[in-house]
Amino acid sequence: MTFDPVPFEFGPAILHWAAAFGSFVLVALLVVLGVCTALFGLSGPRLVGQALLRGANDFLRLSPRRVFALAQLTFREAIRRKALLVFAVFAALFMFAGWFLSEAGERTEDQVKVYVSFVLTTVSWLSFAVILLLSCWGLPEDIRLRSLHTVVTKPARRNEIVIGRMLGFIGIGTLIVAVMGLIGYVWIQRQVPPDVPLFCRVPVYGTLTFLDREGRPAERGINTGDIWEFRSYIEGATKARAIWRFPITRESDELILESRFEAFRTHKGKIGQTLQCKFELVNPETGVLVELPTFQVREFHTNLHRIPRKLTYTDPKTRQVRKLDLYDDLVHQGTLEVRARCLDVGQFIGMARPDLFIRLPNRSFAVGFSKAVLGVWLVTVLIVLLGVTASCFVKGPVATLLTFTFLLVGQGFRDLLDRIVAHEQLGGGPLESIYRLVTHLNEQVPLPEGPQYRVMQAIDSVFNNCLWLVQHVVPDFRPFRMSPYVANGFDVPWSAALAPSLAIVLAYVVPCLLIGYFALTYRELEAK
Amino acid sequence: MNKLSSQQRKIVYVLIIAILMVPIIFLGMPATGDPGGTGSRGTLARLREEYDLGEQTLGKIDPASTTMNLMLLGMRGVAVNLLWLQMEEQKKTKQWAKMRATTESIILLQPHYLQVWDFNGWNLAYNVSAEWDAVEDRYYWVKEGAKFYMRGVERNKNFAELYFKTGAILGQKIGRSDEWRHFRRFFLDDPLILDPVTKQPKHVPDPVLNPAGKDNYLVAREWYLEANRVEEEHDQHVMMRCLFRSYPARSLLDYADALQREGIFDERARTAWERAFKAWVTEYGQMYFDRPTCRLKQEVNSEEDIEELVRLNRSLDNETYRKATKATVLRELVRTQNITNYRYWRMRALAEAEPDMVAAHRAIYEGEQAFRDADHDKCRRLMLEGLRRLQNVISKPEFRDLAQDNDTVEEAMWAILLWKKSLQLLGEPVPQNYPLKSIWDAYPHFIPQINERLQRLYVE
Repeated sequence: MTFDPVPFEFGPAILHWAAAFGSFVLVALLVVLGVCTALFGLSGPRLVGQALLRGANDFLRLSPRRVFALAQLTFREAIRRKALLVFAVFAALFMFAGWFLSEAGERTEDQVKVYVSFVLTTVSWLSFAVILLLSCWGLPEDIRLRSLHTVVTKPARRNEIVIGRMLGFIGIGTLIVAVMGLIGYVWIQRQVPPDVPLFCRVPVYGTLTFLDREGRPAERGINTGDIWEFRSYIEGATKARAIWRFPITRESDELILESRFEAFRTHKGKIGQTLQCKFELVNPETGVLVELPTFQVREFHTNLHRIPRKLTYTDPKTRQVRKLDLYDDLVHQGTLEVRARCLDVGQFIGMARPDLFIRLPNRSFAVGFSKAVLGVWLVTVLIVLLGVTASCFVKGPVATLLTFTFLLVGQGFRDLLDRIVAHEQLGGGPLESIYRLVTHLNEQVPLPEGPQYRVMQAIDSVFNNCLWLVQHVVPDFRPFRMSPYVANGFDVPWSAALAPSLAIVLAYVVPCLLIGYFALTYRELEAK
Repeated sequence: MNKLSSQQRKIVYVLIIAILMVPIIFLGMPATGDPGGTGSRGTLARLREEYDLGEQTLGKIDPASTTMNLMLLGMRGVAVNLLWLQMEEQKKTKQWAKMRATTESIILLQPHYLQVWDFNGWNLAYNVSAEWDAVEDRYYWVKEGAKFYMRGVERNKNFAELYFKTGAILGQKIGRSDEWRHFRRFFLDDPLILDPVTKQPKHVPDPVLNPAGKDNYLVAREWYLEANRVEEEHDQHVMMRCLFRSYPARSLLDYADALQREGIFDERARTAWERAFKAWVTEYGQMYFDRPTCRLKQEVNSEEDIEELVRLNRSLDNETYRKATKATVLRELVRTQNITNYRYWRMRALAEAEPDMVAAHRAIYEGEQAFRDADHDKCRRLMLEGLRRLQNVISKPEFRDLAQDNDTVEEAMWAILLWKKSLQLLGEPVPQNYPLKSIWDAYPHFIPQINERLQRLYVE
């Protein structure tokens, strides 16, 4: 894995959402009250109150039957607009995919990664494009052609129109993603040679801490100069250790650990032999330390370590050999401590938290793949929510641009955005960047002292606060990327991928419905 | 025109299109349609061929590549830039499979851009292979790099550089890297070629890289020969021409040298040196090069040869060359031979083919084996024998320059050191005089270096 799957916590997320949504509602209310008071005088707040009551009434009297009818209408309309032509593009891509993918290396495991990534990327972007256009152009087109008049003059509430639109487009998205996912699954099965098993590993990750070469606790190991700081390294033949603590939830006759460490050599060493590593199982309470057999680190390959339940242990003081039970004697307070050490002098082994995990029984490939497709579907749902909401208050092209920007920023620029807001990005804000560009001042060099620079940074901090707002408004699309799990042969975890994705979608439902409803209610439908 | 109806306008458009099609069809006809070349039939096709602009004339056609380029319309540059960024990110985060796939996408879009093939081939064979710890894995990526270059050659038959770089991977990367012993063995017995049924190594060479099961340097020589063939018609931009064209012969020198490094000192090694000498002198030495002041060949052994070169230059249609004298030719010859190290390799190949030299290498090699096995008496005997034989060769007037050659000096110093250590361990004094003592005394700065090597190999 090239990233750390961090478990999602619902509690803090709900609190954060409540704070953000509450602030948004409060600010919106204050702005509306201010505007209405300015326009209508003292009757302004009364009008706002009436509008809110009407809105509450509309939501309380929501008719599922009418919503379903509007959703059905939207679905049919989308098919009439030839949305399903996307399947033709999809078919064309898969017909010729073999040309582009057949020479991506000879190793079958590498080929599988490429096939899975290709299928999920194709399904994602084709469905995103179709859903984006449909959801952003649906309402504006109806307004332009005045076909919406036939709906609004019927006893249908505006919120029903918004929800109906959303459900209809979600229906189309579901159909497209499901069909493409199914075809993609069959295509992968046909491409992969029959003797290569496809499955999804189920990992249990622990926490990782380090001991330095003197045996003192450390947060990270040594940086060996790799520009990618995902892994840190422990030095061979010293007291340096990487310590994992795994939660043990169930017992079995055999515990399987899987590792994927990196080697870093400071000298050639034995060229025909890879670096050697050893695991130690430690009970911190009793001090029992069981050494497991030495193994060679097979870089970028799967290394499996089978630990039997019954272990032999030699007491270092009495030199007595006794039998131990893995779960009874080594698991302490439901946690198993595993220490890794490098045995080669002057060599280093690199590791990150997901590089060692307990492996539970495999799940079928179909399960992992379906979850990844579910991730794609969740993005289409989010696009529909954003697109329909945007189309309630702006025209088609603007709504498309707005939603696409959300998608682009949330998917491609989220890391950059986070770094800028957290002040981790070198180079400062826009003014400072321009100054540095013009004066050829390296971004590592601090700005000179002076009032003009302080003013510049103060203005930049305003921009930065705007970005903070953007960070909190634009959804984070990163958890939805589930293809790396399946491509690397892992099951998609609930806690690190599905739960945050679902939470993000749910978090946008209420705000989008409210914005969409009020925007459509007060939109001038005669204006094309 | 405005008075025309919609249908009439459409008819006019169709007529105009049809009229415009006539010259296009006429000019765009295949050249084979009129082999005589009269008129304008196949003009565009002939021009394409003349200026090497057609896909077919550049190399093997890849329909996928052409389709991709057409589909992207004018966005190829943007797509390529994004792919390059993506590839660098994947390399940084060590996603090798994805990086490999991205490389494929890049070459689909830039199939005739030399630097793309060169950069990526080198990246796979050198940078990516170095990231892996297991030798077999490193070899896999070296092979990927070589195969990548070979595909580059298929698509671009006129790039001499790509033939040359393929030869460089197969020759220098496999034969000279830290892992050369393993790589050279794998080149003949590839551990990554598995039997589809038993999943065990088939003990055969890679069918793409080495279908005939030859030594890596001999396969590299074939690629260098191809590079020279293409270079005759299309310029290369790798290095000076007189160096570029030396590589087929250099491969044979490297092959003979590798046999010795592997401890092969029989007739095979001697004939390898003989063959290398012949290639150096009769193939490479007879090649003519246009140097700044004259045209010359490097195998020149007499006054008559110089005079012949002067006569040749005076007959050429080049003002500078026509002014060539014996002095200018001689000066240019020395300069060129210094650049290519011609005289050294000539002498070395000749010396290495000497039976005494082969025997010296064998004795020193086996002496070191004996030292490793702690058989110091045998080591002492063999080292002394090796040193005597080496002295016999170096004392010949035609090989006296070997006494300044780094490889020879290092070998002699190493042999003397092990011989002295053996004597020390046997409790015997080092004699006042011994073979090649002059070299030992002349290079005191070598002593710490070889002592460190002894420490590393046999003490630690």
